[in-house]
Amino acid sequence: MEVNFKLNGEKATVDVPPYTTLTDMLRDEMNIQSVKKGCEHGECGACTLLVNGLPVASCIILAPQVEGKHVTTLEGLEHKAMMIDLRQAYIENGAIQCGFCTPGMLISSYALLRDNPNPSPDQVKLAIEGNICRCTGFTKIIEAVLDAAERIAVE
Amino acid sequence: MKPIPKFQYHSPESLSEALSLLVELENASPVIGGSDLMIAMRNGVIAPSHVVDLNEINELNYIKEEDGVIKIGATATHTQVANNPLVAKVHSLVDSLSRIGSPQIRNRGTITGNICNASPAADAAPPLLVHGTEVEIQGLNGKRVIPISDLFTGPKMNCLETGELLTEIRIPVPPAGAASSYKRIGRRKAFTLSVVSSAAYIQMDGETCTDAKVAFGSVAITPIRVPEAESLLKGSKLDEETVKAASTAVYEAVKPITDVRGTAEYRNDMCPVLMRRAIAQCLERLR
Repeated sequence: MEVNFKLNGEKATVDVPPYTTLTDMLRDEMNIQSVKKGCEHGECGACTLLVNGLPVASCIILAPQVEGKHVTTLEGLEHKAMMIDLRQAYIENGAIQCGFCTPGMLISSYALLRDNPNPSPDQVKLAIEGNICRCTGFTKIIEAVLDAAERIAVE
Repeated sequence: MKPIPKFQYHSPESLSEALSLLVELENASPVIGGSDLMIAMRNGVIAPSHVVDLNEINELNYIKEEDGVIKIGATATHTQVANNPLVAKVHSLVDSLSRIGSPQIRNRGTITGNICNASPAADAAPPLLVHGTEVEIQGLNGKRVIPISDLFTGPKMNCLETGELLTEIRIPVPPAGAASSYKRIGRRKAFTLSVVSSAAYIQMDGETCTDAKVAFGSVAITPIRVPEAESLLKGSKLDEETVKAASTAVYEAVKPITDVRGTAEYRNDMCPVLMRRAIAQCLERLR
């Protein structure tokens, strides 16, 4: 069936069966590779993206459920000042190991800083509780998000 | 990973259209957040021929207060409910919603789904039980309103007939002097099912407890209240002796099982502990 939505600000129309997940539609039909397939049960957060600005797990969303919605992936945030600071903070704090969780982590971190520019360490932990880093590098990731918040405040 | 079984997708824009579809279509499942249905489909537990998405039914997306009752429409997400100022007084519900899944799940999932899925571990259930919640159920032949305790009929079983939808959750506005709290134990803090959980609702008039309700999750085939403990607490001054007696009543009333998340013995021991913590937090909130 036909799905019409906005992907990273651009109009998109895709024809997929209704039992296609949003993850699969983006990866297989639109070459969006930042959205990772991890657990496919909504638990690991590797497939996190924004639907109408809210972080969600795209593996448990059906493609037709984004009809008329705004879908934002890491690709669409690449040039945003806040994402550039976040990315740099991740790199400099050693917050990236194998990298598989990184796109989802960045999306969750971005949504946090957008709504709460000065989070406490506990608020950072809550914001990324739906993103699993199986390299277990959580400490560095939390430090990176706090560092990014400071960088953004300075600017 | 197993593919999702094939189905036809429907996205009605009115409740009447959705109710008709659920009756007309063979083997249809409603969906809102999908955090239970999508996983059940992927695991092969359920293979509906039709999926009826309720998300586009605007008349079901609201949170309002009317005649002393907080009314939550079926498609209001955990995030929408937890952030709504009308719900702030329903302390234990806000406590529980902040512990369901993760932000990603809370932005999609609903209380409706949480309670209709009817897991004995459903986090929203104990708070709704202690707040005297009713739920409105609609079908093509009309609507009925039942106490939430009647919704749960067994593990993962609810009282909805085929073609019926839970359309509204009704929580009486808590009176002055009332507070509630929800406490849970999980294997970890983030994104986990509770091993055992408890909600308490306490109303005080000066030093005297004029109303008390306690409920527990993951300790019986459904989320349950323990009236034996409530009647001991009610009318007392919540002194140590009374709380001890209520703890014993709770210990004897719950019938947990052993599973991958915890042993029956541990769950049994933790019920009075969580109840005490919840009561203590109620009193703190009333201060």
